[in-house]
Order: sequence, then C-alpha cells, then structure tokens
Amino acid sequence: MGFTVIKGGLETTVQDYPGRKGAFGMGFPPSGPIDHWSFRLANVLVGNPPGAAALECAFIGPVLRADRDAVIALTGADMKATLDGAPVPLWESIAVHAGQTLALGSAVTGARTYIAFAGGIEVAPFLESRATFVIGACGGLEGAALKEGQSIPLRDVGATAPSRRLRDGVRPPSPAGGVWEIEVVAGPNDDWIDEAGKRRFLTSDWRLSSKSNRVGFRLDGPDWTFTAKATDKAPENGEHPSNVIDHGYPIGAINLCGQTPIILMVDTLTLGGFINPYTVPTCAWWKLGQSRPNEIYRFREVTVAAAQAERRRIATLCTEDSLAPGEQDGGRA
Amino acid sequence: MIFDEPRFLPGGDTFVLVQFGDDARIDLNFMALGLTAALREDRTKGVIDTNPSYNSVVVEYDPDLIGADDLERELRRLIEGLGPVEDLELESRLAYLPVMYRDPWTKACVEDYAERIAPREGDPEFVARINGLEDAAQLARVHSGTEHWVVAVCSTPGLPLMVALDPRCAITSPKYNPPRTWTTLGAIGVGGLSTSIYTTPGPGGYNLIGRTPVPLWDTQARLPAYRDRVVLLDAADRVKFVPVEREEFDYIESRVADGTYTFNVTGYQRFSVRAYKAWAASLDASERF
Repeated sequence: MGFTVIKGGLETTVQDYPGRKGAFGMGFPPSGPIDHWSFRLANVLVGNPPGAAALECAFIGPVLRADRDAVIALTGADMKATLDGAPVPLWESIAVHAGQTLALGSAVTGARTYIAFAGGIEVAPFLESRATFVIGACGGLEGAALKEGQSIPLRDVGATAPSRRLRDGVRPPSPAGGVWEIEVVAGPNDDWIDEAGKRRFLTSDWRLSSKSNRVGFRLDGPDWTFTAKATDKAPENGEHPSNVIDHGYPIGAINLCGQTPIILMVDTLTLGGFINPYTVPTCAWWKLGQSRPNEIYRFREVTVAAAQAERRRIATLCTEDSLAPGEQDGGRA
Repeated sequence: MIFDEPRFLPGGDTFVLVQFGDDARIDLNFMALGLTAALREDRTKGVIDTNPSYNSVVVEYDPDLIGADDLERELRRLIEGLGPVEDLELESRLAYLPVMYRDPWTKACVEDYAERIAPREGDPEFVARINGLEDAAQLARVHSGTEHWVVAVCSTPGLPLMVALDPRCAITSPKYNPPRTWTTLGAIGVGGLSTSIYTTPGPGGYNLIGRTPVPLWDTQARLPAYRDRVVLLDAADRVKFVPVEREEFDYIESRVADGTYTFNVTGYQRFSVRAYKAWAASLDASERF
C-alpha cells in the first residue's frame, strides 16, 4: 500500500538510478532519471540509497493521495506542490499522513520534479531495474507513465524523520535566465566535422525544440559543415554527410540527423546510422533534465578526465554527508 | 578498410567506441563480436556493457573503477588475444523464422506511404528489379535461400540487424527517403546490405518484403521461449527464413495468441570464421537461386 494516482500528470514515471544497465545487447537503453543529481538527493533526503526507485515528473506533475503515513521529498523543478492545499517545500523531507493529497502543478522553474518516498517504490524489477521504459513497455508501473486509479506500492520501512534538509552548495544550481552552458566531450565522430563547423558548434546558441523527450533532445541552430570523411566515403555509409554505417550510440551523444542535432537521452534508440560528433557527459545531464523548450544551450568543450572528475564530485554530493548538520543520523525514529 | 590498429574514440565520460575499420565487410563484425565475447569472458573490471555493430563496439565503463587509459590498455590486450579473424569461433544458434513474403499487411503499409508521403511501386517488386531478379517470387527464393548473420540486436528491443551469409543471396537497396512514419509490426525489411525485423510499430526506412507472425521479444514471458530470456536472438546468431502461405501464417499467429507457439532454435553449433570464409570463397556469387 502506498499512494493512489488521482491524476497522472503529463509524464510521470517510476525511475531508478543508474537504470537498466547491461541490456544494450538486447536493444534496451538504460532509462533512469535525466536529472540524476536531483533524483539522488531526493532519495538521500528520505533516507534511501541514492538510486532507489522514485518518480520523475515532467512539466506537469501528478496528484497523489496517500493511503498510509509516509515520508517524502521533492527536488528539481518547482511545480508549486501542495499537501491538502498547503505549500510543500522543495529540497527537504516532509511527513504525509494517510488520506492527505499531494498535488503538483505545472513547472514554474525547471522542467522535472523528483518525488522520493522513504523505503522506495516497490514495483517488480525487470532486467534488474525498476526504471520505466515506455517504448519497451517494461519497468515501473505496467511499463508506462502513471495513470489515474493506479496504486504506487511502497516498501514498508519504519518512519523516517521529516524535515531533513541539505547543506548549502550540494544541490544543482538554479537555472539562470534560460541560457545553459552544457559541457561536451569531442567524439566519437568529431573528425567528420570541419574546423569551421566545430567552431560554429561551440560558439552558437542552440535552441531546445519542443519536440524533445526522454528519447532525445532536439536542437535548432546553424547548419553543420563537414570534412572529406563525411562527404567522400564508401557508398554503404549512406548518401548524406551525416550518414554512417550503423553503429552503437553512446547515451548523451549529440546525434546529427541530417542537419538536426539530437542529444540522445536515456530512452534512446541504441544504434543507428548517423554520426555523433560530440557527447554530453553524464555530469551535465541534470541541465538537460531541467531545461525547457526554447531555452538556449551553449556548449563548452571539456576533456574526458574533467568530465569524469565532475561526475565524481556530483556523486560525492549525493550522499548522507550532504544533509544539514545534526540530521545525518536522525533517519530512523 | 580494416584499420591496422583499432581506434578508440571517446563517447563522453562513460563510453568508448572501439572501431576496427570503416566499411561493412563482415570480418569487422566478427572482430566486434569477438571482442564482445572476450570482454564477457574476461569480466574486465569496470566494464559495464557492450554495444557491437558492423565495424565497431561501444563499450560502457564505470570511470570510478577503471580509467580511460587503463580501459584502452585492457581492450588492446583482449583484441590481441583474439588473433587473426580467421581464428575466431563464435557461439551461434540458428533460428528458423516463418515469413509470409508479399503479405497483405506490409503491402498496405507501403501503399499508405505512397498515398500520403511519396509515390512508389511495391517494395518487393522494386527490390527485385534493382537487384536484377526476375520478379518478387525470385526475391523470396533468394532471400530465404541463405542464413542471415545477426550483426547486432539493437535500436529497439529484440530488433536483429542481419546480413546474408551466402554471397549468392546478397541483395542491396536504398532506404526510404523520407522515412516511413509507421511500420507493420513484424515486417521484414531490407535496406543497404541489411535485413531487419520490425519489433515496434515505429518509423522506418527499410523496404518491406514480408512479415513474420512471431514476436522477437516478450517482457511478460508469455511464450515458453521467453521464460528464461527477453529477446529471441543474440548477436552472432543466425536466422533462416521459412516461407509460409496465408493459412500457415494465420495458424502460427493463433498459436502465438494462445501462448503455445514453440520456436525452432538450434543451439549446438559454433561458427568458424575460417570454415565460413573458405566456403564463401568457393562459390560463384553471380549464381542466383
């Protein structure tokens, strides 16, 4: 027993972190939360392991009724959440009593809200993950986004103390003015783009299209220009300069489909016939998860080592050490 | 060409693309699948997953467990251990899949495209014509006359990307431009050098020449074949298409619907690259069935 879905919201899915790993060979991408920084902190706030199953709510959140007492935490986008009409704070754990209604609205800042429940969501894992993958109709609740009338089962735990907060400086910075600086690593196919094309990519404003979702983030911007590798190649690569013999896609790759770059996200096709000149490393995915259509991306090239260091820094923030002083061991009442 | 040295191309902070060459010759896929098998056996610390394709493998790793430089060193070691491509022997099952060539469902899908998006003739007739075959009946004969090598299972759940192993049965065709917006579930498509089977009803670009009534993946374990696996095929398996007519198609479909369909998959063979290449070289590729 846990919560009942009164309204599902736009696309509310059960996710876990890091998602469904080890399944590329079957054609399954990892799924999991896009802003995995906010996701993990939500779990930390309710005393769960950082990767426990929780909800990702995109743009318009759900309305849920508690069927039992629970402790929850909301992180990420501000959807003006209320509990029986009273405002609910983000970034701290709160007590919810049986019969109360948690209502989220539309995101006023950011794009995705994460809701963690003490104990975690207890759905059956598929290929060792509870992450929802809608195209594969697997994971989560019936392999799909939440629907009215469904029940969200929670694992039974002893009560967790509410009002756990985070230390300063451990959560993702607030989005600033609709312009995002996104880290990218060159490759795997950067040598298909000529010098002018690379410069143009790194110095232009890229507008996030509304045709973006967990499969891919589509960008509008200037045209790309290519090296001989793209224009003078074996015919089995295909006709367009962006075509290549089918190859596996790294998650986060900036996939050039004709002239349209699409950042391949957690529910992506795992393979295809377009080049990937750059890749957005995992440490920058939280920015993708919180950006809204028509906002601007500016890309900044970093090394693999720098991206890995930032990934580690974020991981160290997604632990109990990030709880405000005096609250680290207040977990179990 | 086959590169003298494999290339290691970063894909962000957790992926590296290992590329053996830059075309679609099958030796490159044998190398990619050889490395995939070697990584599985070696249980290399920090390696999370592999995603092989025609001439490359994407390797996913945990940078907290292995650095990029150490990973490249480990991959080089395993690649050297593979030896020459002829020495490779890969686990390879053979799956017999029923197909109705020139079926009414993919025909309707192609007609819908021709009506709404761009005019075109029937796909089987088109593919037969540009490959110098007499007619669509011969295309079915040629296409079902060979084992198809599973290059990768990829893109969407359970979807096999395949090439004909018998050079007498190789066919090539350009993909749709613009692509279809929807595709019949179970459609057999050919495009470039490849054959594929649509495992989701989404968009696509391959020419549709037939349809299979059997599912290639099942997350609910409804059919006996899926009690201990999620997808039917693995990379390095082989597929033999068995032509069926409408009556047999409907019968198989009903067995799938009531959960009693039994797949025919053999599991006693290994695929020797040396033996395959010797056999393929002995054939006259201009012969057609």
